Amino acid sequence: MTPPELATAAPSEMEVPAFSMPVESNPAGFAATLRKYTKIFRASLVERLTYRADFLFSTLLRFLPMLTTILLWQAIYATATPDETSTPGHKRLSGFQFDEMIAYLLMVNISRMFSSMPGLAGGIARDIREGTIKKYLLQPLDLIGYLLSYRVAHKVSYIISSALPYAVLFFICRGFFRGHVPTEPTVWLAFATSLVLAFAVGFFFEASVGMVGFWFLEVTSILYIVMTLNFFISGHMFPLDLLPRPWSTILKSLPFQYMAYFPAVIFLGKVRGAALAYGLLLQLCWAGVFICLARWLYRRGLRRYSAYGG
Amino acid sequence: MSSATRYFRLIGSLGRYALARELSFRGNFLAKVSVEVLWLGILLAFYRTIFARTSSIAEWSEPQYLFFVGCFFALNGLIETLFLENCDGFAELVRTGDLDFLLLKPIDEQFLITCRRVDWSTAPNVVMGAAVMVLSLWQMHWAFEPARIVAFFVSFACGVMIAYCFMLMLTSVSVWMVRNQGLMEMWWLFSSLARYPKEIFSHTWADPIGRFFTYILPILLVVNVPSQAMVRILDWRMVGFTLLATIVLFWVSRKFFQKALRSYRSASS
Repeated sequence: MTPPELATAAPSEMEVPAFSMPVESNPAGFAATLRKYTKIFRASLVERLTYRADFLFSTLLRFLPMLTTILLWQAIYATATPDETSTPGHKRLSGFQFDEMIAYLLMVNISRMFSSMPGLAGGIARDIREGTIKKYLLQPLDLIGYLLSYRVAHKVSYIISSALPYAVLFFICRGFFRGHVPTEPTVWLAFATSLVLAFAVGFFFEASVGMVGFWFLEVTSILYIVMTLNFFISGHMFPLDLLPRPWSTILKSLPFQYMAYFPAVIFLGKVRGAALAYGLLLQLCWAGVFICLARWLYRRGLRRYSAYGG
Repeated sequence: MSSATRYFRLIGSLGRYALARELSFRGNFLAKVSVEVLWLGILLAFYRTIFARTSSIAEWSEPQYLFFVGCFFALNGLIETLFLENCDGFAELVRTGDLDFLLLKPIDEQFLITCRRVDWSTAPNVVMGAAVMVLSLWQMHWAFEPARIVAFFVSFACGVMIAYCFMLMLTSVSVWMVRNQGLMEMWWLFSSLARYPKEIFSHTWADPIGRFFTYILPILLVVNVPSQAMVRILDWRMVGFTLLATIVLFWVSRKFFQKALRSYRSASS
């Protein structure tokens, strides 16, 4: 079984109720206003808590893969032949100590939180196939622009709602981060930048895959292949440094590493100075490449588009 | 007895129907199979990368671990072929009320709900997993022992049943839980426990967790016992325990499923 796109199951999918604020006409003062907002707060809370059992259950399940991952790597480090640079008591594999390895595998989740785009390419392809893409052609609305703003909102609500489970997870695993949390503000800044760029690379890459739908009506299978491959070559499974020589170099020169590996190694302080600046620049370039690619494919695709159905 | 043959005949016809349907979309079938081939390739690449650094993981040597990977892949493939798609559709049946039509049929509800569709696209996984297992046996110069083969097949069948029972219970939960997360994701998360040798739990702080998932919620038995019996220590007590666990779990999960069905309120139909 290939890994499902886990972010689809995240609480992100729960819609936030849109309360329109009634204009205050009653001059009853502070107490009434307070009562009103308390009511809104309670209604929102009840709405949120409707799915509490489901939410708690899935959060609990979410810890299981992390548990087995930690145990697996513990077993690997127990018997592995370390790098020559290792010091006694600090076994390193491709430069990663055990706690760094676990911290890396936790941080990769944060990278993927930004770069994974569940349903984006599939949605574009469906719009093309079913002809609903027409609505973007008839209105003064750009498809990519619309999807981008929709996705940003989606990500914001996802990140906010999964902050608590992640905070618990990171708190439990805080021991692995001891000494690996960046202290310099520049590293934090670089990390934040790389996450934003990871979002851009992920978004425009998947949008480009979706645009292939103009040429092939059925892209789900291509999408599955790409996503399965991405799980490995983005460094989601383990740091790319662990791979033997030609492969690690090849994978590190592909854009996929920016969706998982790169932000995580910035956080762990594995890339510094000039290499960091160069990496961020390359990430920016890849984002640019995919922006252009998605635009170009969209423009070319529209010329082929013959508006079936809809 | 006649009812047993009836069920066998039904499985046969359902399987044939699914195969005919699958073969009318051959391109799609091939694409799905190639994704699975790719995934096996990734698992093997991961395994190779790790074993380039070590000669054993949690007391499992390289060929033994390879057997484990093959066994996991085959077992998981079988579960996906027979049950996963059916169970995944259950929440939707409950939500839309279409479950009514299945409940009205003169056949066991559990059978109909969990076995009605065979997903042939994951069936090749069983063959691929078997090939990996054979390769690993060849690598370790495995000496032919009929007792091990018997133990393997018995515990493999039990493993499939245990996994099925857990899946059935996860599926049943969707009757009570509003807006269930997709079963696919839940299954992926839960079955991650069975993905690695259970020895990774021992000798650490996780030992009680390992025992819990071996003796109380026995998901760790699923791939471990057949692999263990085939390439490591053949412990008949463990095989016997697995058999017992399968029977108990089957009974418990069936009761649980029936209890869930009784809470079904047939909404919106």
